Amino acid sequence: MPASALRTAHADEPPDPASPITTIATGTRGLRIYTGFIWAVTVAIALVPVFGSNYTKTFVLQALMSCALAASWNLISGFTGYVSFGHSAFFGIGAYATGIAIVRGGMPAPFAIVVAGMAAATAGLLFGYPALRLRGPYFAVGMLGVAEAIRVGVTVAEPVTGGGKGLVLIPEDVLTVAYYAMFAVAVATVLVTYRVATLPVGLRLLAIREDEVAAELNGIQTTRLKIGAFAVSALFAGLTGGIYAWQMSYIDPGTVFAGSLTVRAIAMTMLGGQGTVFGPVIGSVLLSGISEALWAKFPFLHTALSGVLIIAIVLFLPGGITQILQDRGWIPRSRQL
Amino acid sequence: MVTLVQVVVSGLLLGGVYALLAGGLTLIFGVMRVINLAHGEFLMLGAYASFFLFVRLGLNPILSLLLSMPLMFGVGWIAQRLLISRVDRAPLLASLLLTYGVSLALTGGAQATFTNDFRSVPFLSGALNIGELAFSVPRLVACVTALLLTGAAQFFLARTRWGKALRATAQSADVALACGIDIDRARMIAFGIATALAGAAGTLTSFLYTIYPEMGKTFMLKAFAVIVLGGMGSFPGAFLGALALGVIESTASYVTTTQIAEAVIYITLLAMLLLRPQGFFGLKEA
Repeated sequence: MPASALRTAHADEPPDPASPITTIATGTRGLRIYTGFIWAVTVAIALVPVFGSNYTKTFVLQALMSCALAASWNLISGFTGYVSFGHSAFFGIGAYATGIAIVRGGMPAPFAIVVAGMAAATAGLLFGYPALRLRGPYFAVGMLGVAEAIRVGVTVAEPVTGGGKGLVLIPEDVLTVAYYAMFAVAVATVLVTYRVATLPVGLRLLAIREDEVAAELNGIQTTRLKIGAFAVSALFAGLTGGIYAWQMSYIDPGTVFAGSLTVRAIAMTMLGGQGTVFGPVIGSVLLSGISEALWAKFPFLHTALSGVLIIAIVLFLPGGITQILQDRGWIPRSRQL
Repeated sequence: MVTLVQVVVSGLLLGGVYALLAGGLTLIFGVMRVINLAHGEFLMLGAYASFFLFVRLGLNPILSLLLSMPLMFGVGWIAQRLLISRVDRAPLLASLLLTYGVSLALTGGAQATFTNDFRSVPFLSGALNIGELAFSVPRLVACVTALLLTGAAQFFLARTRWGKALRATAQSADVALACGIDIDRARMIAFGIATALAGAAGTLTSFLYTIYPEMGKTFMLKAFAVIVLGGMGSFPGAFLGALALGVIESTASYVTTTQIAEAVIYITLLAMLLLRPQGFFGLKEA
């Protein structure tokens, strides 16, 4: 099935103004600009530590973290439509696994972060197996409950985790190394998404989003796929959390399990385009920039304005920027984007 | 034995207030299939309304309900009309993200206008002794008020024309529309009532707990546990779930610590979702 047929399968989408063939033809120039933009951003990010100040580095590191989280959330929720409202659980697990491995286990940081990623992926398997049987709102509320339960659990387990006071890691000046580590994780998440989106497995995941029962009737092993995607998503969120803990050298349950981490990731993905490869990248670049500008201009109204921004995204750009560019025929309706 | 009865009774008193908050949440889910993540913030608004009416005008919080509930009904009506109605037929994610945005905007707005100071309403105190049992008077008053309001809402849903329209919309919006029910209006009424109930719960919590801009979050998570217990979409279910959760919470915090009690609440929520996602009497679609 061609990609364009899949997109127009949406019931309430307006009919295509142009036929798929002309869309691709007119989309070539837009496509060049689009991929050019992605490459330019990537190269610029790679060069920031060479030319940028510490402030720029910290800011881009934050944006990279958001990007990795958004892209990893997109892997499960953007593709399968299972809205995980507890993505911060895996970020937090990664952060705490790293912290505990370094502080209590004396592990070197890079090793600890890899272990943390695997711990998060294992948690993804463990929670995903029962939770992904729930559908729609029940899954969303369930994952919200999972994140809160783990947050409280970490707070209670004071001898190991340091409780509500938080956990202090060995402070190191690792800004540049952590920067490139986060860059690598973000790129890896997007590359995996690209791989998934262009292989048949991506179509199968999208089929779950469109109609799970129909997908199952067509012989797609939905449970296996969902749990697999969930574990991969958790792996990257865990790695992100691990690098965060290492770079900040201090973590506490309220910060690393914050629901706002999840919502930021979701808002960025929605702004860029759910279930697309580069949507989360575009969304995180834009939203990080806007958010930083708001923070600088209106420090007191920052929270309220973020809320208004999220409302505006849902009301005016529910399909994301990628879809708008595709609807206008500026870029082709390709699953590689 | 006396202690046990005491613990259960204070749990039930707590549950009454939860019922008020969760009743609205479950009503919104039932009628619109929307999970309202801003529900806790409506409670916060209600609490601040009572606080200012008490401090500026010296108005009794219970009497201030006569003012604040219609006001909150209006807030809910407008929220549904301007915002929620644009996403209540869209995929789940849209309404989740939208209501979260509303929640952030309200919290941030409250922080900017009311500051982050902790406030409280010094209204009622003391205890009522019956035999060996002692009941805290403010909690008793809060619970009785909550029960009256929940009862009134249940009466409205079960016995009036518009109540019937709401239930019909909840069962099947398309069929309700085909039967000539103004479902857009039914949805606005549902959201208005839910908001008014949340505001009333805020008034009651204003003299039981501290008031601050982020107070809604904990309450909302508890309300989620309640409606999962009772069955999402079922108003009587939310009532039973609230009483059950109140007792569970008060027993757990008596036996262990408040923090572990919080964990017990989330574990109850997850266990119920896994074992019986439709709750005591929820929709069969889980």
